[in-house]
Amino acid sequence: MVAVTSTARRQGVRRPGGRQALRLVVLVVIVAVVLYPLLWMVGTSVKSQQEIVSNIGLLPQRFTPGNYTEGWSNFDLSFGRFFLNSAMVSLLTVVGNAVSCLLAAYAFARLRFRLRGIWFAVMIGTLLLPGHVLIVPQYILFRSLGLVGGDWPYLPLLIPQFLATEAFFVFLMVQFMRGIPRELDEAAKIDGASPYGTFRHVILPLSRPALVTTAIFSFIWTWNDFFRQLVFLSNLEDYTVPVALTLFIDSTGQSAVGPMFAMSVLSLLPVFLFFLAFQRMLVEGINTSGLKG
Amino acid sequence: MHPVTPPTAGSPAGPSFRTLAAPRRRILRGVVAAVVAAPLMFGAAACGDDGAAPGDGKVTLSIFWWGGEGRAKLTEDALALYTKKNPNVTFEKTFQANQGYFDKLATLTAGGNPPDIFQIDDNYLAEYAGRSTVLDLTSYKDSGKLDVSKFPKSLLEYGIVDGKLAGVAAGENTQGLVYNKTLLTKHGLPEPTTGMSWEEHIAWAEQVTKKTKVPGTQDPSADYKALWVWLRQQGKDLYKGKDLGFDEADVTRWFELWKGARDRGATPTPDVIHEGNSSDITKQLVVTGKSATSWVWVNQMPDLKKNTSDDLGVVAYPGDPSAQWARASMYWSVFKGSKNRDAAVDVINFLANDPEAVALLGTDRGLPSNMDLRAKVSETVTDPAMKQSIAVETELAATFGPSPQVPIKGHSKVKSELVKAAENAQYGRATPAEAAKQFLAACKSAIA
Amino acid sequence: MALTTAPGRTGPTRSARPHASRRGAGRDRHGEGLAGYVFLSPWLIGLMGVTAIPMLLSLYLSFTNYDILTPLSEVQWVGLANYERMFTADPSYWHAVRVTLTFALVAVPLKLAAALGVALLLNRAWRGVGLFRGLFYLPSLLGGSVALAIVWVNMFNRDGAFNSFLAIFGIEGLPWVNDPEWALETLMLLAIWQFGAPMVIFLAGLKQVPSELYEAASVDGAGRVSQFWHVTLPMLSPVIFFNLVLETINGFQGFTAAFVLSNGTGGPVDSTLMYTLKLYISGFTDLEMGYASAMAWVFLIVIALITTVFFSTGRFWVHYSDGER
Repeated sequence: MVAVTSTARRQGVRRPGGRQALRLVVLVVIVAVVLYPLLWMVGTSVKSQQEIVSNIGLLPQRFTPGNYTEGWSNFDLSFGRFFLNSAMVSLLTVVGNAVSCLLAAYAFARLRFRLRGIWFAVMIGTLLLPGHVLIVPQYILFRSLGLVGGDWPYLPLLIPQFLATEAFFVFLMVQFMRGIPRELDEAAKIDGASPYGTFRHVILPLSRPALVTTAIFSFIWTWNDFFRQLVFLSNLEDYTVPVALTLFIDSTGQSAVGPMFAMSVLSLLPVFLFFLAFQRMLVEGINTSGLKG
Repeated sequence: MHPVTPPTAGSPAGPSFRTLAAPRRRILRGVVAAVVAAPLMFGAAACGDDGAAPGDGKVTLSIFWWGGEGRAKLTEDALALYTKKNPNVTFEKTFQANQGYFDKLATLTAGGNPPDIFQIDDNYLAEYAGRSTVLDLTSYKDSGKLDVSKFPKSLLEYGIVDGKLAGVAAGENTQGLVYNKTLLTKHGLPEPTTGMSWEEHIAWAEQVTKKTKVPGTQDPSADYKALWVWLRQQGKDLYKGKDLGFDEADVTRWFELWKGARDRGATPTPDVIHEGNSSDITKQLVVTGKSATSWVWVNQMPDLKKNTSDDLGVVAYPGDPSAQWARASMYWSVFKGSKNRDAAVDVINFLANDPEAVALLGTDRGLPSNMDLRAKVSETVTDPAMKQSIAVETELAATFGPSPQVPIKGHSKVKSELVKAAENAQYGRATPAEAAKQFLAACKSAIA
Repeated sequence: MALTTAPGRTGPTRSARPHASRRGAGRDRHGEGLAGYVFLSPWLIGLMGVTAIPMLLSLYLSFTNYDILTPLSEVQWVGLANYERMFTADPSYWHAVRVTLTFALVAVPLKLAAALGVALLLNRAWRGVGLFRGLFYLPSLLGGSVALAIVWVNMFNRDGAFNSFLAIFGIEGLPWVNDPEWALETLMLLAIWQFGAPMVIFLAGLKQVPSELYEAASVDGAGRVSQFWHVTLPMLSPVIFFNLVLETINGFQGFTAAFVLSNGTGGPVDSTLMYTLKLYISGFTDLEMGYASAMAWVFLIVIALITTVFFSTGRFWVHYSDGER
């Protein structure tokens, strides 16, 4: 029923070569400007501590790859442990958000039920309160539920993600689902599909762009989230990358800026690769023409 | 700016507001009651025993500090030594960077489970002590369970808040003016000395700027610790009881002193001064080469040195050095509600007085508080930068005056308001007098 | 809050769908009412169990002198004192409001424009497009890390890379990030630089535009520009709407960049004191969480009003394929 064809191939054929080249030049120029600060960061990651402070140029005078090994083994634990912790938390968050937000979004976008408008407004409302006033109440709540500092300290970070508390993603998916022509559901309904069947056979397959987007953001934002992870994690072996990165910098005393830069550069790699892998699914695109008529 | 209405005084909106708000309040109260009651049923239910003595039964103490990996290793070694000597006591150790440390400590406290032992500094000691989060250690001191007999008197006193011994100094430091020796030598300029007056310092800095083209001194007018020393030299202080220990005229003079210095070219431009006002070691102008001096704490010398290949020297802040005092670089405090208070105090005592533990900890948190052990540790120090700072601190210790009182509640805001006011003057957005007026007004609402 | 412009609200296009349920909620075709709550249940549990309690608690705390360290059972009710202080006795509050408005009004449209522009450039598939998308997303991957702070300051201080670039053209630069007149602009630039998130959403939205619409349009003789106006923009409007709403919320909340860039102070001289940064400083540094909570609730109400305006104007320009408004 659903015909997924690669728009990539189709449109690729249509592009004339000259335009292609011009666009490429424009893109390369923009990219160079946008990426300069990141290149500077990479350059700094191979400078010595003294050079980081004194030499603000892009390239190091003396190449110091030692920052990487030093940063990796700076702690009792290898830095890889923090990568694993972060990867686990981020991947579970992806799963939690994708599943729970998709369910909620389907309800909001397609089903009609009592109080829907009110609930939708409440959902948007939960986006609006600055998070910093919620941390302390949340901590008190989770602690009173006995969830803080258990054998597996990630529960307070993950439980909310499986309960669609990230209204951002619910709203995102609602907007995408509303872009799916309703004739498709109506057709399914006429064929006798229940709301569950419609979800399974129409909405789910067509929600891929929204799901991919959600996956990308969930992963990256969790990977970078500092404050909540700081508050809920208390053992070095449970720390995640953002928390561990701050350990390099004790602003009033010992600072290992070089290793910190080195590990910051490394910590970009998993998210970058995750992005590259998932954006491919955006490339393929979805063609709904087969669904019509 | 005006203070939060004192909670005990009636609501400013009057009774009509209260009745209006009542139903909603009741619902909220219900939510609060549920959230508050829950910990009693779960975690905190075990709070029965009254700080029972260690000895029999296993004791696990949670301990929390900020610092880098180096500090973590030293501290873990010292704690392991304690466990070796007291096998029934083990530790749950948490360390975190400076960034976020106090956010987390406050959040843990809100959740009713702050660590048994935690590191704290003078910015927050009074805040925590004033809210009865911190155990008063006076009785332990009196009974000898906490031995502070070898502490310098002023260092011990700098841990007392409202008559309660709230924190035990984990190390001592004092203000230090760090200068770039290499730069001065290269241009044949004299090094600054302890006891120079502020005017002499500024005149010296002007010379440095002229000869080296590097601004002679960072403008410390936004730096509370410099202002504090200067105030004490004028017979004033930062705080006096629950109030400020200075007035608008004092601050005006302070700002004018530095306006003069800026006009004479003794300091960098305002944007560079702003850069150096950050407490971050790697941004201190003496290591970034943007000024010949930085205003720091003496025990930061070794860490400053790591960021520059130039030789550094350190002296006291200008003016009469007896205005400086033995400042606790940080304290150990015990949570008042700890189940194992006695054990926790014993650990603090161990960290301060056990020769092996003190030797392990070295000078990482400042000079050891125990004078006998400080002498021993000092002998074993090999890092030249650390040796220098020990020498300066030992020299100054001979003249240290009595400690000022620990900064009061609202200090963090006073600090940030000083930065704002001083920078307003530096960027030329306000005259010294206007900036001082602004600062005083802000302070008054901050500490009220 | 009158955010009841939920999707599927009764609208003029209603009659186009004969199967849609009629007004009475009692008649429930295909068990939709029940199914709605089944699908909504994880979110509802999350709302009741995780989201609502802290929110209500913070609302309560906004009427108290809560300082984080005092146990909740001992906090004291201060009525509207926090709100009064905010509006009448705290000049830096109004300063923060001004800074935030300036930031949001400039940075949000520019960021969205950058995101949409690059997304359009990167929409068509060609060899290497994925890599380019990744490269444009890279700045956003940095989030608010410690390294970012150092990087940005070194780009935009007096001897930074940006001034070196200007020097090529003989322009003498300013100490941007350390200049109270320009620090906010530097902050805006940082926010715009991290345009990756809306860009990805635009890309995903573009992918959802059925390609046969373009085919039909070219058959009708529409050129590229015309296709953009008549196909791409209308079809993309739900996503544009989403990005507009979320980036506005985000822009007003803009905490991370300000925190990172000013070392958590909002300096120099409060020039980057964003609303949420002021709130954070009040709550955590000054331990006035009651006051901070009051600020947060005022924020919520104002943003809710703005969002309501968006939702109510949205019906005039957002085109939903589900035929509703």
